[in-house]
Amino acid sequence: MQRHLLLPLFLSVQLAAPFAHAEGRALTDDTGRSVVVPDSPERIVVTHDPLLGVPILDIGGRIVGSYGRTDDGGSLAAVDFIDTVLGEDAVPLRPKGVGPSGQMDFEKLRALDPDLIIGSEYNAGIVEQLAQIAPTYLQNTGTGRVRGFEVEQSLAGVLGLEDALAARFSAYQEALAGTRDALPGSPEGKSYLVVIAHDDLRLVGETSGVIQALEDLGYARAEVEGLGEGNGLGSNFAVPLSPELFMRLNPDVLVLMNSYTGSERDEASTRAKLDRIAPGWARFLRPEKEARTIYIDSAKVSTPSIASAEHALAAVRNWAAD
Amino acid sequence: MTRRLDGYRVWRVAGVETRRIDLGVALALLGVAAVLIVASLTVGTTPVALSDLLPGQGMDDAQRYAALTLRLPRAMTGFLAGAAIAASGAMLQSLTRNPIADPGLLGLAQGSLLAILLALILLTNLPQGWVPLIGCAGGLGVALFLARVTAQSRTGDALALLLLGLAVETTLSAITSIVILYAPTDLSFNVSVWLAGSLFQAGWGSLGAMLPWLALSLPLLFAAGPMLRLLELGEEHAHALGLSLRAARLTVLLTTVLLTSAAVTVTGPLVFLGVMAPHIAGALLPSSGRARLLLSGLVGGIFVVGADCLSRSLGTEIGLPIGLCLTLLGVPLFIVTLRLRMLRRAM
Repeated sequence: MQRHLLLPLFLSVQLAAPFAHAEGRALTDDTGRSVVVPDSPERIVVTHDPLLGVPILDIGGRIVGSYGRTDDGGSLAAVDFIDTVLGEDAVPLRPKGVGPSGQMDFEKLRALDPDLIIGSEYNAGIVEQLAQIAPTYLQNTGTGRVRGFEVEQSLAGVLGLEDALAARFSAYQEALAGTRDALPGSPEGKSYLVVIAHDDLRLVGETSGVIQALEDLGYARAEVEGLGEGNGLGSNFAVPLSPELFMRLNPDVLVLMNSYTGSERDEASTRAKLDRIAPGWARFLRPEKEARTIYIDSAKVSTPSIASAEHALAAVRNWAAD
Repeated sequence: MTRRLDGYRVWRVAGVETRRIDLGVALALLGVAAVLIVASLTVGTTPVALSDLLPGQGMDDAQRYAALTLRLPRAMTGFLAGAAIAASGAMLQSLTRNPIADPGLLGLAQGSLLAILLALILLTNLPQGWVPLIGCAGGLGVALFLARVTAQSRTGDALALLLLGLAVETTLSAITSIVILYAPTDLSFNVSVWLAGSLFQAGWGSLGAMLPWLALSLPLLFAAGPMLRLLELGEEHAHALGLSLRAARLTVLLTTVLLTSAAVTVTGPLVFLGVMAPHIAGALLPSSGRARLLLSGLVGGIFVVGADCLSRSLGTEIGLPIGLCLTLLGVPLFIVTLRLRMLRRAM
C-alpha cells in the first residue's frame, strides 16, 4: 500500500486544473457529467456537511446551504462537524438547511439562490432536479478508491481555491514534521488500524483525515484476516468488524474512537462502549495491553479534510507525550 | 326492467356491467382526490395561496417552480403510487382470501426493493430509467417462485401461498438488512429514507417513468377483476365455476408485481397502505371485482397525497417520512372503520 499520499494528491489537483471558459470553467464531474462551474463561486450548497462542507470551509469556500441543518443554520445531528473540526468561531455564518438529511427540499434550495451545488455520487438520482437550480458538480466521496483528504484537494481544483489549499497544505506539513519529531521511534514499516464503535464495531476505510495523517507519518495499514480489497474494505468510511476479529487485531498502533453520532467521545466513553460490544476486550487486545492504542474524538478526525488530519496529528502527539 | 345487483341498479357500458353506486362513489372519491391535489399545491416552504393558482393571477418564478415543477408532479406521483399499492393489496386479499395480505406480506415488494438495492450498490451510475425495470424483475422473480411452488395442486393453495410468501418476505427482509449494513454509509442512509417512504425526489421524470408500467398493468387489472370476484367465493367454488386457478393466480401476481414495482421505485414500500386502503374502501361501500380495485385504488391515492401534505407541513426541518404520516393519518381511521364494522355485525 502506498503510504505517502501527499505529492501524488497535490499534483493531481494541479493536473485537474480546468481550462478557462467564458462563463466559468467547463469540468467533468466524478460521474462523467459536464458542468460549467463559476470561476469564483460565492453561494455554494453542499449535500453532505462532513464529507463535502467541511473540506470546502477548510480552504475558505463560502457555503450557504447544506443538508441536515435548521433554517437558521443549526445542526439537526448530534454533532456539528463545523464546530468539532473547524472550531465554533471559525464559520460565523452557518449554512442554512435545505431539508432533512437525505430529503432535499428543492424549494428551500432554490430560495438560497446558489451559484454552485456540490453533491456526492449518491446524489446521482436527483442530479437533474439539482441542475435545474444551479450548476451541480458530483464529487466522489466513497466509491472506488478515495483516500485521506483527497476530497478536499479535488474540491480545491473545482472551486479555484488551489492557493488556499497550498497554504493549508504547508501548515499541515509543518504539523506532520512536528509530530514525526515527537514520536519515540520512526513509524516507517510499522502498521496501524482505526476502529470506530457505533452500535457495532467498524474498521475505518481509506477516507478521512485520520487515515491521511497516519499514512503520511509512515504507518501502513495492517492486514486484517478476511478483509481487504474486494472483501469489504475500501474507501467507505467504515466496514463492519466482528468482536472476535476485533480481539485478534494486533497492529503496531491501534486507533480507537467512539461513534460521532453521540456527544460522549472521549477515552472513557470509548472504553465503556467497547465493554458493551466486546466484553473483556481490554484483557485480550494486545495493543491495549501494551499501550499501543490511541483514543481519538471521531467527530474531529472523520472528515476528508486537512483540519481533520491535523486533529489526528495532535492526538498522536499527545499519545507520544504520554 | 332495470337489472339490480346487491339491491343496486346496474349500468351496462360497452359490455361491462357496473353498479351505479360504485360509479357514484368512485366519482366522489375522484373529486376528493382532485381537491386534495389542488390543495397540496399550497403546502410547502414557498408561500402559494389557492388564489395564486387561479388563471390570470400571475405566480412569480419561485411560486411557479414550487407549485408546477415540484408539488404537482409530486402529488400526482403520490396519488398513482398509492392507488397502485392499494389496488395490489385488494387483489392479494381477494386471491388469498386473507384480510391482511398485501404486496409486503407476500414478499413482492421486498423482491423489488432488494433488486433495486443491489443494482444501486453494484451499478453506481445506473440510469434512472432502469430502476423500475430492475424492481419489476425482482418482484417478478418472487411472483414466479410463489406461482411455481403453489401450482402443484389445483385447489386449496391460498393458505400455502400466504405462508410461503411470508417466508419469502422474511428471508428477503433479512438479506436487505444485511445489504444495507454493508452498503456505503451514504447509500444505506438514502435507502433507509426510501424504505421509510418518501416522495422528496418525485418529479415529472419519476411520474413519466412510472406511467408505462401502470399503463401496462391496466389491461391485466381489467382482466383480473372478474377472476377476483370468483376467487372471493373460495378457490373450490371458483374452480367449479370454470376459473383456471393457475391462470388466475399468475395474472393476479403479475399485475401486482407491475403495480407494486412501479410504485415502490418512487415512493418506497408504503407499509400497511395495501392492507388499510381496501378495508376503508370496503367500509365506504362493500364491493368486489373491478369496483373493489377501483375504490381501493382511489382511497390509497387520496391517503398518500394527504400523508405527503402532512409530511410537508409538519416536517419542514426534521422531515417526517411519508410512511409515518400515512400511519398517523390512516391508522385511526382504520381502527374506526373496524369498530364500525364490528358494531354493524353485532346489531
